[in-house]
Amino acid sequence: MGKKELKVAFLLALRSLQRGSRSSVILTILIIGMCFTNMIFLPSMFNGIGQSITKQVVDYEVGNVLVSPKSGDKYVADIGATLDLINGMPGVERATPHFTKGATLKYRQRVLGVTVRAISPNDEKSVSPLYTKMVAGSYLGEADTGEVIIGRPVAGDASIRQEDEFQASLGGVRVGDSINIDYGNGYVKDYRVKGIYFTGWSQADSAVYVTSTDMAMVDPKALDNADYITVKAKPGYSEQFIKNELLAYGVGGTGKVQTTADLLSKSMGRALQSFAIINMVSLVVSIIITTVVLFIVITIKTISSRKQIGILKAIGVDKEVIMHNYGFQVIILGILGIILGIFLTLVLADYMAYNPIVTPEWSATLYVTPMDLLQNSVILFIAAIVAGYVPAYQISREDIQTAMRT
Amino acid sequence: MIIIENLKKIYRMGDVEVNALDGVTLDIAKGEFLGIMGASGSGKTTLLHMLGLLDEPTSGKITIDGVDVGRLNDYEKTQFRLYKLGYVFQDYALVPDLTVMENVSLPAMLRLDRTEEQTHAGSFEVLQKIGLCDRRDHLPRELSGGQQQRVSIARAMVNKPDILFADEPCANLDSENSRLVLDLFKEINEEFHQTIVMVSHEDWHKDYFHRIIRLKDGKIISDGSNGQSA
Repeated sequence: MGKKELKVAFLLALRSLQRGSRSSVILTILIIGMCFTNMIFLPSMFNGIGQSITKQVVDYEVGNVLVSPKSGDKYVADIGATLDLINGMPGVERATPHFTKGATLKYRQRVLGVTVRAISPNDEKSVSPLYTKMVAGSYLGEADTGEVIIGRPVAGDASIRQEDEFQASLGGVRVGDSINIDYGNGYVKDYRVKGIYFTGWSQADSAVYVTSTDMAMVDPKALDNADYITVKAKPGYSEQFIKNELLAYGVGGTGKVQTTADLLSKSMGRALQSFAIINMVSLVVSIIITTVVLFIVITIKTISSRKQIGILKAIGVDKEVIMHNYGFQVIILGILGIILGIFLTLVLADYMAYNPIVTPEWSATLYVTPMDLLQNSVILFIAAIVAGYVPAYQISREDIQTAMRT
Repeated sequence: MIIIENLKKIYRMGDVEVNALDGVTLDIAKGEFLGIMGASGSGKTTLLHMLGLLDEPTSGKITIDGVDVGRLNDYEKTQFRLYKLGYVFQDYALVPDLTVMENVSLPAMLRLDRTEEQTHAGSFEVLQKIGLCDRRDHLPRELSGGQQQRVSIARAMVNKPDILFADEPCANLDSENSRLVLDLFKEINEEFHQTIVMVSHEDWHKDYFHRIIRLKDGKIISDGSNGQSA
């Protein structure tokens, strides 16, 4: 097959698409575009959910790297020295300790069990966007005592009756109200609600935050111990790099060092496996649909052009040229369909970035990477070529008389 | 020079065998304008398709310019058709999505011994010859039947073939357009000493032929120069 033959095959293909049935061309491109979108939509949405969960876990739970107590220990000890060490390492934006304690909140007639998290408010600002999520009142100050910030679900809504509540709450606490916290160790104290926040991450929204200074009065161990330390990485530094650094500097001797990915692979491993299986099924179904549709389109095209094909062969056009003519048509349709699919996907991704599908547990956006687009494009392109070339090969082998008689 | 020896073509229709060609033996000289005539079903088109390498005979031999074409493989036959033969079909058989110029150029584009410029110049020249140069950018559907058939002749002529085959080229044309087409064939035959083999069932066409063979039931029943019978 020489250059001239390929050129003629391409010319025939191009002219057929340019001057043939426009509606058929548009419909085929539309179908390929929709198949592409279908192929990429579900996996991207699952990726979006994964990314959303990961971001919330990083922002409100563990940071990029978590230093937790070693096996057998209850706390990460010697917290001052450990923080100094971590904060001085390259790639570390900030490290901050959390000391948590179970407690019972009382407000009027309502009683609610929650986790109280003690934080260093200023350090926390470098690690978590919690301070930006205040919906009423203000964030904690570094030396605040006797003041708390509480999640909106904990504060509740006074207009909803207790029996109608989806999640138990204090029934409508407002900023400035006083709530009673019983820590269970005999320490009971009234706190003024300084602020109410809402992050969208249910674990964080179900908690109450106090300052470490305040917690030290509840439990003196909070002075030099932490349940865990969250470490935020500077932009451009990987979690793995930070983890390696921490281990190299001996933080491993103080606590167990894990990246967010390490933690999520354990906690969400099964969910991610399920997502992967659903993605694979979705991908296979989309490929089958695309292949069958293109096969039908090209088969109809070739059958309706059988006489034409016979004439072309009669005047000396080689069967390879005829086959590649249809092959090129599929390639052009495939490329245009994929471009349309990419466009539709990006429009959807953009739309969902502003209008995510929100559930109580996560918000779903489309997380599409250039690699996803490339991989799906290549897969769809190969499927299109196979679907187009099979009928083209068959028809080009038909003898001239049979083709011309139709 | 075409030499046809004892050519047979048997079609099987269910259990019945039909002798479309029944031992045809014939020589066609270079530059001859041969008419194949006969009633419907006499084997005219079958013979033309055999000579034009569009169909395989059941038995017999065809030699064109010393080449036993029965021995050629599929690719060689395609190349033989491209370089040596030209075809004009009853229903014009133009590619509907190509312009007049593109239709005419198509066979020439595939020739390895022609540059793009030569292809273009050759197509332009042949379109001038048939008087359709001004319609070169039109699609076939924008032309009349007679014009389309002239384009089909131009496409057949663009590679300057040794033999031109025409299968009832005037079947879909009125007498005026038929005469225009036949005049064109005559001109080509005389000017280029072009061998033309043409199937026709119109009696008045015989005025254009140097020689006429008549077929009946797959056999030659007469062979002679215009107005004569052998």
